[in-house]
Amino acid sequence: MSFLLPQLTCKKEVDQAIKTVAEKVLVLRFGRDNDAVCLQLDDILAKTAHDLSKMAVIYLVDVNNVPVYTQYFDISYIPSTVFFFNGQHMKVDYGSPDHTKFVGSFKTKQDFIDLIEVIYRGAMRGKLIVRSPIDPNNIPKYDLLYQGI
Amino acid sequence: RPGCCGTWPGADGAEGVPVSRRPEHRRQTARFWRENRAEAALREQCLVPAEEYERFAQALERALGEHQRREEERILQMAADIREAERRQRETVQAALQVEPELCAGPSVCRPPTGPERDSPCAAEQPGPSRMHTGPDLAWMDSSQVLTFIGHQEAEGKGNVHTGAKPPWLTEEEDGIKQQIGPSYEEFLKHKEKQKLKKLPVERVGANFDHTSQTSDSWLPSFGRVWNHGRRWQSRHQFRTESGEKKKK
Repeated sequence: MSFLLPQLTCKKEVDQAIKTVAEKVLVLRFGRDNDAVCLQLDDILAKTAHDLSKMAVIYLVDVNNVPVYTQYFDISYIPSTVFFFNGQHMKVDYGSPDHTKFVGSFKTKQDFIDLIEVIYRGAMRGKLIVRSPIDPNNIPKYDLLYQGI
Repeated sequence: RPGCCGTWPGADGAEGVPVSRRPEHRRQTARFWRENRAEAALREQCLVPAEEYERFAQALERALGEHQRREEERILQMAADIREAERRQRETVQAALQVEPELCAGPSVCRPPTGPERDSPCAAEQPGPSRMHTGPDLAWMDSSQVLTFIGHQEAEGKGNVHTGAKPPWLTEEEDGIKQQIGPSYEEFLKHKEKQKLKKLPVERVGANFDHTSQTSDSWLPSFGRVWNHGRRWQSRHQFRTESGEKKKK
């Protein structure tokens, strides 16, 4: 069943999403529609969105449209996926250097589903940071460069 | 159980004639008697001849009519008695109310006979329970508590609470608009959602987050940035500072 993921095109819409999504994990994929890895990730997100609809709401955001957030969220690689719950940023320890976002694509749909479940459960228990259930081998590797400001 | 001829009593059939009067009734009864080997003598006793039946029916009708008439008379008599009693009661009360002011017009007000030092004319009259047996007990009422009589509420035809008439709040249909009592359907759905919210754990992230707050264009969510180790608000603060510096350039 194909599911077309909704897009947020400006800062205001992103603000709206962060503020209004209630009692569900907000998934914001930052990237570009024509990027190869983004396409991979978007495919996984689209195919799992329906099954996760009770726990998560997923939006696609083009990094060119929201420069403020691209900077604020320190997005240097795409795709980067940021998670919120009730307006609060949820951090995840993937075993990678950056806990504030998921960089790259998931290997399988199940990995993404498991991650959402863990984030959801942690949020319900009041945790702002959770540990990723994904096998570290399946986590994309990247170098986190300190961007001098 | 069906009667002795095999059919149900009261089953009038197409002609409208009761079962017991049909011609074949006698034949069926005879057969029934034979089949069940009942005593022949009894049969004559059990079978009611047509004329007897007629007499019985007529007598029954007369008796029923008589009974109904007697019952109606009795009820009317009771109603009249009650009305008479009410009338007498009203008169007594009014008479009492007229008498009381005369007594109270004297130098001292009518008080309950509790103060022995009071030498009032009321004491001689003995107001209170000893005087009035059928009327209300006026002795305990101060003169300041005289009730205003607003008239006997005659509502013949419309009925009242005692006759079981329909109450006024149920008879209104003048506007024609369907007035819904209570919350609308959407309000009910919203209420259900709120109830569901209550079931969620209280310690969950952002439980007290105001989803409907109006924010400015420069609003930023609470985000712990990569290179920040302190509290999250510091991320926001630092970002704003950086942006501010950039703008100044």
